[in-house]
This record gives sequence, C-alpha cells and structure tokens, in this order.
Amino acid sequence: MQSERRMARFDLYERTVHWLAALSYLYAALTGLALWSHKLYWLAWVFGGGVTVRGLHPWGGTIFAVVLAVMFRKWAGQMKLDTDDREWLRKAHKYAVHEEEGVPESGRFNAGQKMLFWSQALATVLLFATGLVLWWPEVMPRTLRLAAVLIHPLAAIGSIGGIIIHIYMGTAAVPGALRSMVQGWVTPSWAASHHRKWYRESSER
Amino acid sequence: MHTVAKLIDTTLCIGCKACEVACQTWNDQEFTLGTFDGSYQTLPDLAPNFWNLIKFNEFERGGKLSWLMSKYQCMHCVDPGCLRACPAPGAIVHLKNGIVDFNHDNCIGCGYCITGCPFDVPRLSPTTKKVYKCSLCSDRTAVGLEPACIKTCPTNCLTFGTREDLLEKAQSRTAELQADGVAAAGVYNPAGVGGTHVLYVLANAARPEDYGLPRDPSVPLAVRLWKGPVKWLGSLVVAGGILGAFFHYVRYGPKKEHADAE
Ligand code: HEM
Ligand code: SF4
Repeated sequence: MQSERRMARFDLYERTVHWLAALSYLYAALTGLALWSHKLYWLAWVFGGGVTVRGLHPWGGTIFAVVLAVMFRKWAGQMKLDTDDREWLRKAHKYAVHEEEGVPESGRFNAGQKMLFWSQALATVLLFATGLVLWWPEVMPRTLRLAAVLIHPLAAIGSIGGIIIHIYMGTAAVPGALRSMVQGWVTPSWAASHHRKWYRESSER
Repeated sequence: MHTVAKLIDTTLCIGCKACEVACQTWNDQEFTLGTFDGSYQTLPDLAPNFWNLIKFNEFERGGKLSWLMSKYQCMHCVDPGCLRACPAPGAIVHLKNGIVDFNHDNCIGCGYCITGCPFDVPRLSPTTKKVYKCSLCSDRTAVGLEPACIKTCPTNCLTFGTREDLLEKAQSRTAELQADGVAAAGVYNPAGVGGTHVLYVLANAARPEDYGLPRDPSVPLAVRLWKGPVKWLGSLVVAGGILGAFFHYVRYGPKKEHADAE
C-alpha cells in the first residue's frame, strides 16, 4: 500500500457515540431475543439468567435510547435527503450490485445510510415507548400492553433487519468503512469512490 | 388420562369465605389487610398473596338488591393464554391432569402472562418479582387429595372430580334448576379458551358478566399474532438477513474503489 494521505472522516466524539450505541444495542438486542423465543433462551444464560435479563434488558435499552438521542443531535442535520439522494434510492438496486453508473454521487452519508438513520430513530422511539409499557405491566392498562407486545418485537425485527445490513456494509461489503469508524480516517480514493460530493467539499476546504 | 376439574355451583354459595381461608392457610399466604370499600367482599381484587376471591356481585332488579356469588381464581384453561405468552421455559407448566401451574423457580417476573390471560388472574408480587395465582392445589391433587377450597366448602357448592364427570354433573344440576323454574340456568365452560378446568353453574348463564365472568373469553388476538406470525416474520428477517448478506458477498463481493483521488 502506498503511504497514503489520510482524510479525517469521524472524529473521536462521533466514534465514541457510535460504539456506545453499538454496544448497548447489542446488549439490548441479544437479551431481548433471549425472551423472544424459547429456542433462544440459552442467550439468557449467557447474560446471567432469566431474572437478570428481565431486570437489565430495559436498562440496556434505555441506555441505548439515550445514546441514540445524543447521536441524533449530532447527525440529524446531516441526514436530510436531497434530490440526489432521492434519485439514489430509486437506483439503490444498482448500487447494491456494484453497477454504479447513473447512481448519483453521495455526500458525507449516502441515501442508504440516511434511511438507516431515520428508520433506527423511529424504531428506537417505538421500542422505548412500548418498552416502558412492558417494563411495568402491573400498572399499565390492558390495551396498551396488548399493543406493546406486538409493536415492541415488530420494531425490534425491523431494527435488527436494518442492523444486519448495516453491519454487513460496514465490515465486509465496503472495505475501509470499519477503519473509518474505529480509527476515524479514510484514504482519498476511498472517499472519492464512495462519497464523492463529500470528498470534493473536504478537499476544497 | 382423565383430567381434573373444579365445579362451582354458584347457586349454592352462601358467601362464608371458608374457601378463601383454606386457600390462604394451605398455601401459607399471609393476609394483607385491604381498605373497606362498602362491600362484603374480602378484598376488591386478587393479589399476589390472595388467589381465591369470593365475589359478592351486587345485582339490582325491581328495586331489590341481591348478591350473585361467584368465585374468582385461575380458570385452568385448556388453551392457557398465560402459557402462550410466557418466555421462560418451565415457568408455566401445563400438567397432564389439566392444571396450569406456575413454577416460581423458573419465573423471571416479566408479567407477559398477565397480558396473555383472558381472565386477568396472575398477579406480580412487588417484593419477590414473581407472578402468583391459584395452582388448583397441584401439590394436593398430585397425592390424591382434593384442593383446599373444595375440602372446606360446607355447602357442596364446590366439588372436585374428573372434568368429564363434573361436566355431566353440571348439566344435570342445570336441568334440575330449570325444572325448578330457573329457566336461564346454564354451565360456564367458555369455548374460546378450549374450555376450562374450573366450571360454573350459573343461575343466569346468559349474562356471565353479572357474575364478573367475561362473556366470550379467548386468548387475545394480539397475543396470538405475537406468538405466531410475528415470530415467523422475525425468524425470516434474521435468518434471511444473515444468509442474504452472506450470499450477496459470495455473488458480488466487496465494493471496489473505482475512482482515484483527484
Ligand atoms: C429503548 C428502550 C427499551 C426498553 C425500555 C425495553 C424494554 C423491554 C421490556 C420491559 C421487555 C420485556 C422483557 C424484559 O424486561 O426483558 C422487552 C422485551 C424485548 N425487547 Fe426491549 N426494550 C428496549 C429496547 C430494545 C431494543 C433496542 C431491542 C432490540 C432491537 C429490544 C428487543 C426486545 C425483544 C426482542 C424483546 C422480547 C420481545 C418479545 O418477547 O416479544 N428492546 N423490552
Ligand atoms: S385463567 Fe389465566 S392464569 Fe389461569 S390458565 Fe387461564 S390464562 Fe392462565
């Protein structure tokens, strides 16, 4: 590898927030899944037993929701979809199979990342609201509980589906992406290839 | 195997509450005083340490007040909603004799069973963080004894036996009542939960709600969806997502850096 120039992509604050979110999410998701199906109950033993999992999952979820709120404050302004992004989404199937001619250039975040951001934000609101209902079943009205036992897992399923794609993209599918979130930097050609508008803006500055 | 049942002939209940005392005593529950709310009932509601409540349902007709006695406890459903909802293997056990028993060693205190139960029976204890309800004295029936409440009932309002026998007995008692002029008499054995192992003879079976019993109880639709289609969808998304990502990589590989830095 040539001794490359480095471009700063995610600063320490962004990386810290991202990994706090990832850790608390992983904890909430795995402890939640333990109670989701008897076949996954072995996960409860990994995390200290059913009683511990029941007691701590809501706290793990709450920590995640708080970290996500911090992330939201930091990134929401950069996640608005512009006209290029809308066009990108229409061509997402081409992006997915690496046929990128005609797919509009992306800014700091591409439209797929932006959609992930908004859908995770929505899922977290739903998970937190219904999670509170599940937390204290004895004081919650029956209708709310019946809604919560449906919406909490549905939001979790949607969210986990998104996260599976996110993890795949961030590790195997886009080499260099993981390093940008761990060490914070990318190479100029990485930026030019995947986030060209951002690359140009950053090089101009 | 014959399953067991409890028959409650509400026309014979005199409201003596002996069964409540027997339940508390046998199950070693300390009684917590409630507030007096102008009713003859011991407490307004079931509690984690109070599993069997004689309800003094106040019923007014032609300016005259009467009590419609009923007994409020776990119905030991043939299709128990609590069991469907429970995430902890072995915390709710459906015994071969039909009893739905809670095993507190395995209970994690999530309270899902409270939402699954169409009769609003299980109660979460704030101190032990576990859920409690009538066990139909599974520890007594296991050794051939009848449940404590039935043992103590002085009027034969409560009887214990095989479910088959008691269904028959309930029918003949209903016929007897009808012959005596109680035309609306009938059996309460709700089909929506597959029937129950606690059966009632009601003087007015057309209006179970007058006895504090739900008219057409069934496992809530939300609970059936949650433990059915939603679960399938979840498996599909998780398995499909992981396999999909893997085979996407196998087929298309990673993204290349197609552009050079300018
Ligand atoms: C945002 C704050 C959250 C709160 C307050 C919360 C609360 C709860 C509560 C109280 C339960 C009932 C069982 C238990 O206590 O362990 C539960 C179940 C569950 N949670 Fe959460 N949770 C939150 C976030 C999450 C997240 C981020 C996920 C994963 C994506 C998740 C996935 C699940 C799953 C799969 C279940 C089992 C659902 C079922 O059996 O239907 N939760 N949650
Ligand atoms: S009455 Fe409620 S607690 Fe009893 S078996 Fe039926 S669903 Fe379970």
